[in-house]
Amino acid sequence: MLPFVIRRFFHLIPTFLGATLLAFLISQLVPGDFLTTKALEPNVRQETIDRLRAQFGLDQPIMVQYVRWMGNIVRGDLGMSFASNQPVVNVIRRPIQNSLYLVVFATVLLWAMAIPLGVFSAVRQYTLGDQAVSAVSYFGLAIPNFFFAQVLILSIFLFRGFTRENFGWSGLVFPVAGMTSTGWESFTPWQQFWNIVHHMIVPGFVVATAGIAGFTRVLRGQMIEYLQSDFIRTARSKGLGARAITYKHALRPAIIPFIAGIGALLPSLIGGAGLVEIVMAWPGITPRLLDAITRQDIYVVLGFLVISSLLLMIGNLISDLLLAVADPRIRFS
Amino acid sequence: MATRQSARARLAEAADAAVAAEMGGGKSQGRIVWEQFRRHRIALFGLVILTAMYLMAAFAGFLAPYGINEYRRTPVSAFMPPTKVHWVDPETGRLTRPFVYEYTSDRDPVTRQRVFVENTEGPRYEIQFLVRRPSQPYKIFGTFQSDLRLFGVAEPARIFLWGTNSLGKDLFSRVLYGGQISLTIGVLAVWVSLTLGMIMGVIAGFYGGRVDDLIMRLVEVLDAIPGLFLLIVLATLLRDPRNPLAQAFGLQMTSGQTFLMIVIVLGFVGWGGLARTIRSLVLSLREMDYAQAAKALGASEIRVMFRHLLPGTASYVMVVLTLAIPGFILAETGLSFLGLGPSEVDSASWGLLLRDATARGISIQFVPWLLIPGIPIFLAVLCWNLVGDGLRDAFDPRKRR
Repeated sequence: MLPFVIRRFFHLIPTFLGATLLAFLISQLVPGDFLTTKALEPNVRQETIDRLRAQFGLDQPIMVQYVRWMGNIVRGDLGMSFASNQPVVNVIRRPIQNSLYLVVFATVLLWAMAIPLGVFSAVRQYTLGDQAVSAVSYFGLAIPNFFFAQVLILSIFLFRGFTRENFGWSGLVFPVAGMTSTGWESFTPWQQFWNIVHHMIVPGFVVATAGIAGFTRVLRGQMIEYLQSDFIRTARSKGLGARAITYKHALRPAIIPFIAGIGALLPSLIGGAGLVEIVMAWPGITPRLLDAITRQDIYVVLGFLVISSLLLMIGNLISDLLLAVADPRIRFS
Repeated sequence: MATRQSARARLAEAADAAVAAEMGGGKSQGRIVWEQFRRHRIALFGLVILTAMYLMAAFAGFLAPYGINEYRRTPVSAFMPPTKVHWVDPETGRLTRPFVYEYTSDRDPVTRQRVFVENTEGPRYEIQFLVRRPSQPYKIFGTFQSDLRLFGVAEPARIFLWGTNSLGKDLFSRVLYGGQISLTIGVLAVWVSLTLGMIMGVIAGFYGGRVDDLIMRLVEVLDAIPGLFLLIVLATLLRDPRNPLAQAFGLQMTSGQTFLMIVIVLGFVGWGGLARTIRSLVLSLREMDYAQAAKALGASEIRVMFRHLLPGTASYVMVVLTLAIPGFILAETGLSFLGLGPSEVDSASWGLLLRDATARGISIQFVPWLLIPGIPIFLAVLCWNLVGDGLRDAFDPRKRR
């Protein structure tokens, strides 16, 4: 197993280099940099600009800048943020962490909801329940998640209006903005944790919606195919219970493609989370990325691109490993 | 973008279907597929709705009572709720020609929220059909100029079927105009993606070896950066007036150039998957007898690739294309939603219209009609998905009815 992991890891290196080079070249599309705007300020002398430019290495040719920057990344240094004048690592750590909370939560939710729904649909094929599930999943696949988030926010407000009039209770069922309540710092750790989870429910659900819908539909198809296959008939004729057949014999092979798909799922979850983060004021990657890019804080932008692509590749690696564990037909050799 | 997993599985199904479809009967392939498609009720429903939506977008100028950018500063009409259309005469209690009242604005004494009240004391304004508004001409298909509008009311009354936005622009009209952008960008971007994907996929599959490795590595590299971030960065940087490309266009991009830019960016970010699937099809097709025969007859490599191999992927590509469009529509509306698409001033896109609902200082429960532009996005994506699924089933002989 270990040699397999190591080989896969080395396979990632050229891809990573390619991705960072692409990101770097794109960031060079705009001539001028943070200092060009600074040079326009009347009280900044040309010498200061030149000194800063040399300090940041901005006077070198692009490829030299790239190699230098890459060398620093390998040493764990993502450079300095021009705008906030502190290491990029400090600027991007929290947003990445916050986005990951959301993505992990959404992934768990996705699996927790899609598996039972898919199995239900397959076992009760063509019943009313099955048709309802597939109608809802068409709906989930088609609704843009930023719109869905807005609709949920509106519903939560309308619900508050309803409870206020009828029961005199004017709280919100779920928080609709941000990641923590005010005064969060003074909570006990346990309260802090639950507070974040509480904030995560609506955005997490929205991020997971399209995934749940797609996953359910495909799982249903897979399950139906396996339930009609020969080994299931054998299991039935052996007198095995329906539960064991469904969950042990049909679900296990049916689920394998999804384990392989975790890696492919990640980018869509990260991307999908992005728009929801904007709507629900979640302090994640996308709001900060937009902010950094309008300020031309190029190393922060690059930092986000590099770390997110690194996370993606690690996600892919993990899903390969999980696949090998889940599918006995795969051997590492 | 959002549903890559299921999209992949569907692509796999489509690939099987395409291979199987090669063995047709006496009828032509197109005829069989159309006959199969017609029996697919839900897919047909999707096709009808889509046709209606595209027609409405094409004739937006005629259907919309107001111009794309038309608004009046006085009297205040920002955030007006949908205008109430009366069908019943309040005096006689009988059905009558639909009419509206003029609205006056006031502040709520408690919340200080602006409220609009119908002036029922004032005159009634009947809704007129086929009115001419010479002050607001429009063009259909960019060529036929006209000023005829399907309906309207006489000034000073105004009719806002779906309310107004922060500047007092009519949302109903803007949703219609927005369709022109949101419904076409996705389709055009798919073609850009397809062209890139086909060229790269065919080359990779045909030559194999080093070239194949290089192209597939490139696809992997593109895949390694989350698509949304790549889109955000590209769309922002390309729009920057200091950019050499932007300077070539003249400092500020016009709406048409921004439109083109978004199409190209979306297409560029999305071609990888298409290239990968076309490559794998070509890998098997190039071993077929007819491809070998063409080569033996002395056809050039280019001819074999584009004349013999590429057409073999056609039925499959059609399905992939249809299923890829909704993803591109979602990506465009998402970009516009972030304010990185067409600009507010001279154009509208559904994503951009939805952006109004999240603007600072807006509480959605007071202006719920601002969410209406989300419904056409949903419908368009849903119907493209339905049509794509129907098409895939129609190509699949195992699902023949």
